[in-house]
Parts: sequence; structure tokens; C-alpha cells
Amino acid sequence: MGRRTTFARLAKIEGLPIAAVLATMYLVFMITAPNVFTGHRIYMSFLQTIPPMLVLGLGLTFVITAGEIDLSFSAVVAFSGFMYAWSYRTFDEPWIGFVLALAAGALVGYINGVLVAKIGVPSIMATLAAQFFWSGLTVLLAGGASWNIKGIQDEFIHTLFVGRIFGSIPAQAVWALALTVFCWFLLNRHRFGEEVMFVGDNPNVARVMGINVERTKIKLFVLNGVLAGFAAVLLTTEMNTFWTTQGEGYLLPVMAAVFIGGSSIAGGEGFVVGTFFGAYIIGSLEAGVVATGIGGYWTELVSGLVMGASVVLNIVIGDGRLAAASRRVRHWMVPERDDGG
Amino acid sequence: MKRSLRLIAVLAAMALIVAACGSDDDSDDGAAVDVGEEITVYMQMGGNQGDPSTLARTNGAKAAAEALNVKLIEQYSGWDPQVMVEQFKEAVAANPDGIVIMGHPGEDAFASLVEDAEADGIVITSGNNPLPNLAAQFQADGFGYAGADLYAGGYLTGQAMVASGLQAGDKAVVYDIWHNESRSVSSQGVFDALEAAGLVVEKLDVSDEVDSEASLAIPILTGYLEANPDTKAIGTQHGNVTANLPGVLEAAGKAPGDVIVGGIDLSPATIEGIEEGYISVSFDQVLYLQGFLPVLQVALTSRYLIPGLNINTGVGTVTPDNISEIAPLIEDGIR
Repeated sequence: MGRRTTFARLAKIEGLPIAAVLATMYLVFMITAPNVFTGHRIYMSFLQTIPPMLVLGLGLTFVITAGEIDLSFSAVVAFSGFMYAWSYRTFDEPWIGFVLALAAGALVGYINGVLVAKIGVPSIMATLAAQFFWSGLTVLLAGGASWNIKGIQDEFIHTLFVGRIFGSIPAQAVWALALTVFCWFLLNRHRFGEEVMFVGDNPNVARVMGINVERTKIKLFVLNGVLAGFAAVLLTTEMNTFWTTQGEGYLLPVMAAVFIGGSSIAGGEGFVVGTFFGAYIIGSLEAGVVATGIGGYWTELVSGLVMGASVVLNIVIGDGRLAAASRRVRHWMVPERDDGG
Repeated sequence: MKRSLRLIAVLAAMALIVAACGSDDDSDDGAAVDVGEEITVYMQMGGNQGDPSTLARTNGAKAAAEALNVKLIEQYSGWDPQVMVEQFKEAVAANPDGIVIMGHPGEDAFASLVEDAEADGIVITSGNNPLPNLAAQFQADGFGYAGADLYAGGYLTGQAMVASGLQAGDKAVVYDIWHNESRSVSSQGVFDALEAAGLVVEKLDVSDEVDSEASLAIPILTGYLEANPDTKAIGTQHGNVTANLPGVLEAAGKAPGDVIVGGIDLSPATIEGIEEGYISVSFDQVLYLQGFLPVLQVALTSRYLIPGLNINTGVGTVTPDNISEIAPLIEDGIR
């Protein structure tokens, strides 16, 4: 007992195993596609496109930690994006749109929370229905149209959220990083995060401990909605365009990012740092595979393989099984002295 | 010549409708136009509500429905062939007057279903992706086609890309849904046109995630361009990917014109890309007509027993030279 290796201790640092997976993946891409992954452009494009996915993943991490699921966040990206673009076109003032986008996300989250916590609808059903409803409402309100809001490029909000720091680093990456830090503190150092984990672990025990389970669930769905609203602002501002189906393609990649990051689908355990690296793995994977020259119909197959390997590696390293295996191998090669007696 | 005859046939059919409408002009109220009793038409729109490759088709169908006293039931499948077949079955179960189908599932998938529906007296016609054998079999019963000749349209796009400054030996990539043959017919045309001009062309597959959220294409194509810096042209016939190509080129540090881009459809972002010079040519399949004409076809067959008309809506491209004239119509969802 107590003879834990340095490796095992490192593996226990939150997010380190999945960070190692990401680093390994980039290393492999550097070898297989050196002219792409040793330059800065590919990383800048990741920093441009991954942040909305990451922000969505942060919100979903809280929901999954609480033992629930939210399938409506992609619809919030469309609905909040609509509010943002519509108000900009109507009032020519992006900040009203910004507030409305976050408020729209909060509204969707609040309704989800009430349905799940107060009425007792299973979250998978409540949020699936919400996904259809808010997507449908967005299409209805927009009249099915896509809108170009290129005038927003001249506004301060564009510079603030998606401008290029030092001329090349997308600002949205910094926002997403800042939100990751904030969410980590919220989940791991704040009473709210503690409540979320207790609720996810066992809601009955949480109730006995004096936690208001219903209120906690509503809060976390609202948080998820607000973050999805912010992701919509980042995406719409970056693309200078609103389209009614925006966000649709994020559903599976975002869920994959959260689960690759190590958060447990059973609840009670959530890893914000894991989600951060998971988002970068998922968001970089296909581009990396393509850059290596594996073309044609191989891309998805290889992507799936790497994704699966990432999850397995993360679990193996995270659980310390790799360290145990390495100790066993060392023991076979150099038998440890029996100090007993 | 053949095209002209088809056009004349359509115009004649339209004139027939206008004549039918004209008989009601003398009525005092002047409100509803009497084109006959209301008929119900189920129509497959292709993608999702409001997406750039679907909106103008929906608008065209709605306009025709309003003008021709048609109750239009829209069906959206996200371009999923399996969903299209299921929607067709649902439509048949409702026993409407007509059904407009997309050809993507293919003739084998549709053959027996269409035969049964035709036997029940439902007028079937097709759009966007042709079903030539079924059209030949049931043309007398109103089975027509309104859509681009996708391969020819793609070929046209490829030729326009070459005309924009490509040369034999240049390297090009065609990025599309190659894993779904029915959705890459047009891109095969682009591919063949570029290859026929002597270019070295590679196929790159669009994943399902990119198909749904095209902004995810940005790092993928950036990586491709970095790995293949000598790429002189990008072709795609995916409407949403086309809309994101200016972002790709910006992320890859390319100036307008550095890479010749050929795409499809005319979403607001694509228009901006054409105006800025990032997109050299976009294939215009006139989606509005792909919505309007099938509804017209069902009305013509139901009321006047007019056989199926085969109309090619895709005969043009939009370039920086003609975008300013077309842009206002696109804003209105007509082009």
C-alpha cells in the first residue's frame, strides 16, 4: 500500500490523461502531416471553430454531472442566434441582441429545468421535445431565411468576442478558456458544483443532506442554456451569418467531447478540464486525418478509431490501470525485494 | 432544341392555367381565383426547413400552391434517403392528389412504392434528382421532373472554374458527400470537367457532422490546403459548404482569387463570397422553380391530364460579373 508511482499520481491530476491523449494526437499529426501541424494556421483555425463547441460542452458537463442529459442545446444555438441576428437587423445594436441571446438560452434552460425537476419528465424526453420545439420556432420566426449580418464586423462586439488578438489569435478561444476556468471553479470550488455532484451521485442522499435538488437542477439547466446562448453569439458573430439550422451538427460532437473528457454518464462525476481537451480532440480529429492524406472513405473510420482509442486510453490512464500494469511488468523483470518480516 | 420544346410546353401549360384563372376575372369579388377544387399535394423539400439549399424551393412551392388552390404539405428529410422513402409511405397513406418526391433514394427503392401509389390514382412527380426509368414508365400519368441535370450542372461549374484561370496540371480538390452516391452526382460532374481540362483532381469526403454544421469544414479544409499548398481550386456542390468556403480561405491565409472556388446555390454568405471574389462561380439550379414546377405539374395532371414534363432548371452559373443583378432576388428567397 502507499507505493504509488509518480506516474500514477500524475494520472490523477484532472484532465492530464486526456491532455496527454491530445498531445499524442498532435504529435502523431506532426509526424504524419509535418507541413500542416508544425505551422500556426491549422491551430488558429481550431481556435476559430472549436470554441462554440467547447462552450456548449462546458454547460453539458454540469448537466451530465448531475445525472441528466440535455439534447436541446443545439436548438438553443439556432434560437439564440436568431434573437441575436434579428435584434441586430432590427435595432442596429448588437448588445441588445447579445442580452436577448443569453436570455433566450436562459428561458429554454428554465423551461427544461422546470419540466425535469418539478414535473418529473425524464430529461432525455423533455430536452428532445425542446430540441424540436425551439428549432421549429426558430424556423417559423425567421420565415426559414438565412441572414447575412456582415455589418457586425464593424462593431465593437465583433472585436471583443471574435476579433484577432495580435492579428492572429481568435478572441473566442480566450473567452472559451476563461469560461473553462470559471466553470472549473464553479464545479470544484463552489457550493453549487458540490450540490450538482451530490445530486448526480444520489438525489435522495442529496435531499437528506439538505440540498434543494429541484432548484439545483433548474439552475444547471439555466446555466447550460445561457452558455449555449453565448456559443450562439460566438458562432453567429464569427460567421457573420445566421441560418436556421445552425448548431445542428454540434449535438454528437459536443456529447463526444464531454464523454471523452471523462465525465460519467451515470452522474456524480464531471470533469471540466477533460471536456476542454475533449473538445479540442473532437474538433481537430477530422482535420488531422485529412491533412495526413488519408483520403476518400477512410476519414470517418480513422476518426472513429482515434476517438475510441482516446476514450479507452483516458479510462486506462485515469483509473491507474496503466500504472498498475507497468508496475507488474517491472516486478516481473526485476523482482522486488521482500522487506517483510 | 429539345430544351426549347420543353420550355414551350411549360409555357403552354402555364397559359392554360392563366386561361382557367381568367374565366373568373369577371366575378365581382375578384378575390379567389377559380382554378378548380382544392387538391392536396405532399412535397419532399429535400433538406431542413430554411437551410440555404431548401428555402427557395419551399418558397416556390408555396407560391404555386397559393396560385393554384393547392393544399401543400411540406416534408423535410435532411437529405436522408431513408427518411424520404418513409415520408413517401406516409404521404401515400394520406391518399393525397399528388406527391412530389426527391430522387435521392434511387429507382430501386422507389419503384414498387411508386407503382402502388400510381395504381391508387395518386399523381407522382419528382424533383432535384432524376428518376428517369420511373419517369418514362409513368410519364403519361404525370410523372415529370423539375430540377437540374445535376451531372451537367456540375460539369458546367467545373468548366466555369477552368475558365476562371485554371490550367492543365493544376491541382484541385472536390469536397463533397462522396460516401452517398446520390448526393455527389453533381460533384462528379465538377470532378470530370476539371479532369477533362487536364487538372490533377482529388476527392475529399464531407462527413455527416460537416453535412449538418458546415462551419466544421473550416479546420478540415484549412488543414488540407496547408498539406497541399499547391491546390489551385476547390470544388463542391454542397450549398452550406460553399457558404463557408470564404471563411476557409481566410483561415488558410488565402486572398480572393488565390484559389479558384466553384460551388452551388446562393445563400447570403455565398453571395458575399462571390461579391468579395472568394467564390469564382456558383451553380444556380434555380431552386424556386424546383419548388414551383412540381406543384404546377400535379395541378396540371390532376385537372387537365397533362403528362409529366421534364424540365431542366439548372442551366446557369452566378459569378462576380452577374451577382449584383441577382442578389436582390436572392434576398427575397426567389433565386
